[in-house]
Amino acid sequence: MKQGFSQRDRSRKFIGKYQHKIDGPVKASGKAKYLDDIVLKSQHPGLLYAKVLRSPHPHARIKSLDTRKAEALPGVHVVLSYKDPEIAAMKPTQAGWTPFNTTSYDRMLWSNTLDRRVLSDTVRWVGDEAGVVVAAESPEIVEEALRLLEIEWEILPFVLEPVDSMKPGAPLIHPEINPTGNIQPPSPDMNSHTFIDVGDAETALAEADAVVEVNTEYNNSDQGCLGTRGCLMQWEGDKLTVWTSYYQADQTRMHITQMLNMPMHKVRVINPYIGGSFGRGNLGEQPFFIFTAVLAKRAGKPVLYQYTRREDFHDTRNRVLYNCRLGAMKDGNITAIYLNSIGDSGAYSDDTLGATDFVVREWAEANLGHIPNKKCETRAVYTNKIPGGIKRGIGNNQVNLAFGIALDELAEKLGMDPVELAIKNICFEHRPIPDRSLVAVLNEGARHIGWEKRLKPGLGSAKRGTRKRGFGFSLNNSWHAAWQELPRGHIQVSMRVNPDCTVILDAPTAETGTGSNTCNVLACAESLSFLGIKLEDIEWIAHTDTERGLKDQVQTDSAISYVQAEVMGKAAGMIKAQVQQRGAQKFNVKPEDIEVQDGRVFVKSTEEEISVKDLLWGGNLVPLLASVNETLPEENTGLPYVATFAEVEVDEELGLLDIVKLVVVHDCGTVIFPPGAEGQQVGGQAMAIGETMMEEIIYDRRTGVPMNFNWIDYKIPTILDVPEVEPVLLEVWKGAGEYGACGIGESVTTCAPAAVANAFYNATGVRLMSIPFTPDKVLKALETARNPSISKAAR
Amino acid sequence: MELIRIKVNHRWSELGIGKDLQPDTTLAYLLRQRFGLTGLKVACDEGACGACTVLVDGKAILSCMTLAIEMDGHEVLTIEGLPADDHVIRAFAEQSEPGYGTAIQCGFCTPGFVMSAHGLLIENPHPTLQEVKEGLAGNLCRCGCYPAIAQAVLKAADEMAEPRREVL
Repeated sequence: MKQGFSQRDRSRKFIGKYQHKIDGPVKASGKAKYLDDIVLKSQHPGLLYAKVLRSPHPHARIKSLDTRKAEALPGVHVVLSYKDPEIAAMKPTQAGWTPFNTTSYDRMLWSNTLDRRVLSDTVRWVGDEAGVVVAAESPEIVEEALRLLEIEWEILPFVLEPVDSMKPGAPLIHPEINPTGNIQPPSPDMNSHTFIDVGDAETALAEADAVVEVNTEYNNSDQGCLGTRGCLMQWEGDKLTVWTSYYQADQTRMHITQMLNMPMHKVRVINPYIGGSFGRGNLGEQPFFIFTAVLAKRAGKPVLYQYTRREDFHDTRNRVLYNCRLGAMKDGNITAIYLNSIGDSGAYSDDTLGATDFVVREWAEANLGHIPNKKCETRAVYTNKIPGGIKRGIGNNQVNLAFGIALDELAEKLGMDPVELAIKNICFEHRPIPDRSLVAVLNEGARHIGWEKRLKPGLGSAKRGTRKRGFGFSLNNSWHAAWQELPRGHIQVSMRVNPDCTVILDAPTAETGTGSNTCNVLACAESLSFLGIKLEDIEWIAHTDTERGLKDQVQTDSAISYVQAEVMGKAAGMIKAQVQQRGAQKFNVKPEDIEVQDGRVFVKSTEEEISVKDLLWGGNLVPLLASVNETLPEENTGLPYVATFAEVEVDEELGLLDIVKLVVVHDCGTVIFPPGAEGQQVGGQAMAIGETMMEEIIYDRRTGVPMNFNWIDYKIPTILDVPEVEPVLLEVWKGAGEYGACGIGESVTTCAPAAVANAFYNATGVRLMSIPFTPDKVLKALETARNPSISKAAR
Repeated sequence: MELIRIKVNHRWSELGIGKDLQPDTTLAYLLRQRFGLTGLKVACDEGACGACTVLVDGKAILSCMTLAIEMDGHEVLTIEGLPADDHVIRAFAEQSEPGYGTAIQCGFCTPGFVMSAHGLLIENPHPTLQEVKEGLAGNLCRCGCYPAIAQAVLKAADEMAEPRREVL
């Protein structure tokens, strides 16, 4: 058996112990109910099915629309289009109002790119939700009704590549946002495409002893959640109930009430179990919520709008092209960094600048704050492709591919070990170099992968036949310690202690599989350990519901586990005070004379005692109740580090790149639920391997048609594709608060692509810069290196 | 009306073609919508992900790729038909051995994996790690719990080492 991580604070009773996941039994037995399982026809009498017209064209406008034949089809209840006065009067919107905190329409993040309509006459990618939606008695009738629509299209020219889209004369995709081109306005708070400009990067690069330049391409990949997007909506009078697989119930309610001008108490949103998130529901503000609500109102019946697998290719990780230059002096001190990126937004802006500006701004300020000369610029560009939305670790993966490769290349140029170069130059802001967290993470990674076996680039350690081995790594900071989550505002949690001393824990968050539910229960048990309770005495409420009384915490920022755990201590303190009060009544003393320990209530001076259970059971049988409404610690404690180390084997003849082993190291501060954390680490590598090796949406360049919106042609890693993965958990850094933990759910995917790229280079002496590293790209890169002239001619 | 007989989770049912099911009704649709057996999931509906896996006469099959009328005279077992103390379910639920993570995260694929694992263990009660991987290669887990899933299946196989009781 493997050893597992070593806990810093061994006095904990529940936190940090290897033990079962709380929802293991309900999920393993197939009893957990997801959206799909609560929308059966038999469960909702009169249920109607809705579907939207999907654009067959990459760019077109509906010139004329006749819906009469569709409306006349038996079984069709409502046909709704962009021409409908209620729809036409709706505000323009955006699919990224907020990254995590509840946000109203007028305070939305990307207020300068309101580029979506609930239903529009214009379509901008093949598969775009076009201007007509139908509700009917069966999915088959809906399909037939959509076929009966008589539409005359005005076909518009389209553009797929952002470099083409940026050129003058390119077809305008959103003239209402930018009447002269396809570059989106910069972030509202920046007002410039250059978001960092410190010192003089150009001059410093010119004066540096060693300069490297890399051009990377991080292609788009789908979130690929097994559960598809969807919602079921039902009206009773003026009240709307929504069941959805989008994981932010409170923000969904905000979105619907703001778009439909409804009071908040008249919309109830419920999240059942959710079949994966990976950033997908982060863009919660989707037109489908609005048109489904209108359909259900008009029909007077419940309406289900659910995506098929093929339709669920709806938004992806943003494709980003980077140009990265680094300059250093002979002693290994990095003096300049220049980053220039093009964010391929696809048809709608969504959160592209979140990926290419916000994330990179924070990352550069945090990790490279001490480097004197820095310039970073980005342009988010529309193209006629699937929109880039949010996927696990938004923006980090893309910049890490560029910076991770550049760092590796710079180390070679300087004749340094890249681990040494990283430790010499990178530290979290306000901390001394070398950064303790970074040193621990990199040293552990190097030890576990066997870094000492790494030879000089191109020599291919452990060469056998045409196969060469190589080692590489990449590092990043993790994100979202408590201080970064302050915009969430108040965190609400409640505990009820029943008269039999069992606990109902209400720590609302959609259960998407992150393991935060188990973390919740562990933290609850830890904080209530004076009651002498066991884990099985705690019931965690698995579904979110805006009517339950507490605001949900959105499963973003990898943050829920500790955000909710941190405030539980306060609730537990309130429970303790209530036990003391009841004990004081029982023994006729003052509450402060009462102590509560390990399930016993006793008078400090006389040692008269009673068990908590007997005390509560002998009382009025009303549960103890503590509801907290607390903000998080404000102290800026910086952030810890993460790294992935890779060992690869390359067959130079066949162009095969095999990942032999990945070691993924996280400094978590405090590990709350080790099997959950290791599950994130291991599973994150599987997802990263998909992006690194196989996942990509492929277009027919002539027609703009995406060719692989299905899971046969779009390859997702199977159990056979995942090599040995060794997860390593550390507790070096510590944030503010009781646990001072830092989430890892997103950063697990950040470093593998650059680590594999660097390992490939170490094996072969050849650079791969465009993921996924499919065999054709590998062969081409190897061939180009062997014979540059042939390859140039072929291009 | 033509009738077919299907044994679902140990009990025979008679279904009328044209009434209870259509000639093109998939087994997955029938089990979920008519029998309310929602443990199996339809995540792709085209045989690419394995979430709809059930056992037919002891063999793991994709119920989204199987027509319900083909099941006339056959025995179908879904996850709901497994015993409450099923060793595979328990192994998936309890996997927490250090170094592998949990065998479940979001859980949407899990019933399919459990049924594929049963199919594998019926054919090969003592699989090697590689055989487990090959046996489960038709199931996708986007959360990427694969190493832990393999551990769970190996553990379930170990537990079955004593004379194995019948699954069906």
